[in-house]
Amino acid sequence: MIKRKLTLIMENKPGALVRVVGLFHQRGYNIESLHVDPVVDFTPYKFIENELETKFKDNEISRLTIQTLVSDSLMRQILRQLNKLIDVIAVSNEETTYLKGVLLDENLL
Amino acid sequence: MSTKLKLSGADMLMRALHDEGVDLIFGYPGGAALHIYDALFRQDKIEHILVRHEQGATHAADGYARATGKPGVVLVTSGPGATNAITGIATAFMDSIPMVVISGQVASHLIGTDAFQETDMIGISRPVVKHSYCVFDANEIPKIVKEAFHVATTGRPGPVVIDIPKDMTAPDNLFEYEYPKKVNIRSYNPPVEPDINQIERAVTELLIANRPVIYAGGGAIASNAEEELFRLNEILDAPVTNTLMGLGIYPATHHRFLGMLGMHGTYQANMAMHNADLIIAIGARFDDRITNNPSKFSPGAKIIHLDVDHSSVSKIIEANIAVFGQVKNSLSAIIKLLETKLDQYNKDKLQPWHEQIKNWKSTHGLNYELYKNESDENPILPQAVVQHVYNITEGKAYVTSDVGQHQMFAAQYYHFDEPRKWINSGSMGTMGFGLPAAMGVKFAFPNEEVLCITGEGSIQMCIQELSTCLQYNLPIKIININNEALGMVKQWQDMNYGGRHSQSTYQNSLPDFVKLAESYGHVGIKVEKNSELKPALEKAFSMKDRLVFVDVYVDPAEHVYPMLIANHSLEDMWLSKDKKT
Ligand SMILES: Cc1ncc(C[n+]2csc(CCOP(=O)(O)OP(=O)(O)O)c2C)c(N)n1
Ligand SMILES: [Mg+2]
Repeated sequence: MIKRKLTLIMENKPGALVRVVGLFHQRGYNIESLHVDPVVDFTPYKFIENELETKFKDNEISRLTIQTLVSDSLMRQILRQLNKLIDVIAVSNEETTYLKGVLLDENLL
Repeated sequence: MSTKLKLSGADMLMRALHDEGVDLIFGYPGGAALHIYDALFRQDKIEHILVRHEQGATHAADGYARATGKPGVVLVTSGPGATNAITGIATAFMDSIPMVVISGQVASHLIGTDAFQETDMIGISRPVVKHSYCVFDANEIPKIVKEAFHVATTGRPGPVVIDIPKDMTAPDNLFEYEYPKKVNIRSYNPPVEPDINQIERAVTELLIANRPVIYAGGGAIASNAEEELFRLNEILDAPVTNTLMGLGIYPATHHRFLGMLGMHGTYQANMAMHNADLIIAIGARFDDRITNNPSKFSPGAKIIHLDVDHSSVSKIIEANIAVFGQVKNSLSAIIKLLETKLDQYNKDKLQPWHEQIKNWKSTHGLNYELYKNESDENPILPQAVVQHVYNITEGKAYVTSDVGQHQMFAAQYYHFDEPRKWINSGSMGTMGFGLPAAMGVKFAFPNEEVLCITGEGSIQMCIQELSTCLQYNLPIKIININNEALGMVKQWQDMNYGGRHSQSTYQNSLPDFVKLAESYGHVGIKVEKNSELKPALEKAFSMKDRLVFVDVYVDPAEHVYPMLIANHSLEDMWLSKDKKT
């Protein structure tokens, strides 16, 4: 088990955060720390806007970072489970990013 | 000048459901849903079925969805109405069934005050829904309905809850109504078309395999992939097994069909999976009732896994080749490529493999002709009951089931040649599912034979729906395989707990099911002897316009076999009470 950092970009909608936290509990993953902020500067996420053919507006999306203790084998499963949540736009760990089902092989968040 | 229609939230909800193509909903009224129920009363496009318990509503909608492929729709009130619906929502979630559940909620200014019949429906349902919406602005009702149906029916299907505070449906607040033509949820984009590189890799493996097995599950049914699967195997000529959820996706009477696999799968299906050199998993997820001990699972097989859900692939068993997309589309892509390489494929090389399977089948396969050796000296065999039902209905009926030994006997001995005809709670294993699910199927297909193979334990969990069946005149046939016990529990106690039957029998407290059926206005028939069985079933099925409850007393000592030996491989099975592989 090693401590890993995950980053999520998600819709800032009621209930979105609790779905993420709930998923950790439900699937038996643990959370060491959690931090969430509204995204104000969209420049790092231009590639998402391009990929999803959308334009982010103020207060529409949040950035969430979670530290978790997991084994390597569980890491991919956690990413895929998070990516499946409807309000989650993208999720990454140190090596990979899932952008709505598309696997990109570096951390872009 | 545009003269847009102005409607209340409740009327918009009805309009939106109609515009979405809904013509049937199952529900139960109560305070927080009364504005909606009034709107329902004032329209004539959507029929509402009044069940007798909200669990019944969810299972009925679920049965309707499984049989038709269309989403089932449920309407319940807040508090107890909502919590009563949870078991059925969870059942649909675990089996990936499309469903939209609308729950009333206390008025928004009361939320959080512990108001009368307030419960956090969004919170309590969260782990068992694909997604959920709470309406905070009545203007959004059409958009939310549109999104809810889109999410419920696309990708890996599942239930979606829409929780509506009472003030959002108030009759005097009017809004301009327009139903969205398109949905765009930017953060939701389930895969449809497969990656062609993965298709090429899959085809390469298919061409060289010597001991392939096709393993297809509920996802193949959800994707309506029966024609593609059939075509694929016209080319490959491989043995095919189906999961409990997948029965019917490949014709059970086809000579390449191995039967169901897993916990109570056939000997030849489990042996073939264990000894395969290539497993093609199609909309199946290597659940623990399939793999037994994952570390001992099919040691020599490469795995090609076709699924729409990324998180189902390599979750339990690592896939060598993962093909993401609608499995129907993925299969089409595989077929298309295979058809260009037919000269590289020779079916005949599978002959030794087919011989081996034939051998397994003839040594320990199921006996499908138990009904031929009946005599009144012996108790009725539950397996033979299913065989008679199969013969009488010519294998064409919609069969729902509950949970327990009777469910496994139904799955083993009723041969399903078409998908969506076998309707059971596979993953949740929800006792009480069978009868309301049969109602949902009968509403969808009033002219088809619909029967429920149940047990005296399970049927009592939603027995109140017999009243709904009378109100709507649903001539379902209920075959109660009565072993006077929670048979499956008792079987485990026999096998693992020294025969200590802790709380699995009822000490002569069962109701008289014949009188019970009659008091609900239906026909009841009791069967206690082998010689009565066939005539009683024939009589029941000849009563086309009546619900008939056939209460068949069977041998209480029977066990379901084969049965996987826990924590071992798929080769390790109990074949009878005293024989294992
Ligand atoms: C709601 C619910 N409670 C408990 C169980 C556990 N359980 C599984 S099978 C079974 C016995 C079912 O008895 P019956 O319906 O008579 O079927 P039989 O096994 O006797 O054929 C029980 C209690 C369950 N699956 N569902
Ligand atoms: Mg029983």
